[in-house]
Amino acid sequence: MRDARDAEDERLLAEGETDRLLAGWVETIQDICVAKMRGPVGEDVAQAVCERLWRELKAGRHRDGRYPFRVIVHSVTRWVCKGWYEPGWQESELFDLDGAAPDESEAVVVEVTLEQFVATLPSGDGEVAALTLLEGLEPGEIATRLDKKPNAVYQAIHRNAKKLREWLEE
Amino acid sequence: MTADVQALLDELVRRYARGEPLDVEAALARAGDRADELAPLIEAFLARAPRRAPSPDALAYVRSLDEPPMLRARVGKALKVDDVVDAIVAECKLDAEARPKVRRYYQQLEGGILDPSRVAASVWDAITGLLGRSRALLSAPPGPAPAAAPMYRIDAQLSLSERLVPRSAAEPQVPDEVDALFLGDPSA
Repeated sequence: MRDARDAEDERLLAEGETDRLLAGWVETIQDICVAKMRGPVGEDVAQAVCERLWRELKAGRHRDGRYPFRVIVHSVTRWVCKGWYEPGWQESELFDLDGAAPDESEAVVVEVTLEQFVATLPSGDGEVAALTLLEGLEPGEIATRLDKKPNAVYQAIHRNAKKLREWLEE
Repeated sequence: MTADVQALLDELVRRYARGEPLDVEAALARAGDRADELAPLIEAFLARAPRRAPSPDALAYVRSLDEPPMLRARVGKALKVDDVVDAIVAECKLDAEARPKVRRYYQQLEGGILDPSRVAASVWDAITGLLGRSRALLSAPPGPAPAAAPMYRIDAQLSLSERLVPRSAAEPQVPDEVDALFLGDPSA
């Protein structure tokens, strides 16, 4: 259940750089919460998630490395989003953020990565996908880098986008 | 008019790869009645995406998590204490001369040294409306003030022959409307 994304988190946790560790997840937490809650209330939810994770990190939890921090982030995010509208949940949990942790055995095990998606593609499209999705290059830059015609790159990007959506829907 | 879900997803994916903010809220709004189709795709993508390097803003946000939540929310909105005081005075229909007292109480509330459960709903309405956060999120966890051992100067000398003068008239202050708003109504 560990992958390349966890190495940096493990280093930051081992070196006690918990602020940088959580900071690397703040924007992802906010984006997921807004998507899950379908609107600006997601900002409130994200704040509760970050506060909980921050208190847990300061209390020394998760240092044993039993679960990758990525899994804990997704687990807590899912748990807070799920309980947000339950009566009384906000009051009790927000005043006792150091209380019981979510059931980590139910943690979302996020084993699939974009790298794996890229690896499923034919080599030509895979090259384009790697540069688009993982390196953030623009089509013109990709065409230059791979010595391809811009039109060929655009077609590959179009094919990859459709396959990415199918893969995300699996 | 709703934008195409595929196009919105592609745009988000490209923004993520370039390290730009996603603005999920705007994307969902543009998806219109297909937001329920787009949202799970965004979630699935973010669960699988590479880890991002922490931005300076995110790092500052995390470091601010130790501050009382109300202070953090106010600073986040670039508001002054007086802005919140104005909102409370207006919402609770208080006279202008009540401002200094409201200000004192608000600062105690913001600093986490005033029990938030005793504060009137009308005050909370003003604060939550202005700061855009729920009451639960803005309330600092209640708890006793940190205990401090008494300190004495070794060379202190107190001459009991000195005449003690009361600092103010001995008349007890009658709780007013502002006290009731922040400390609860003793008659309730």
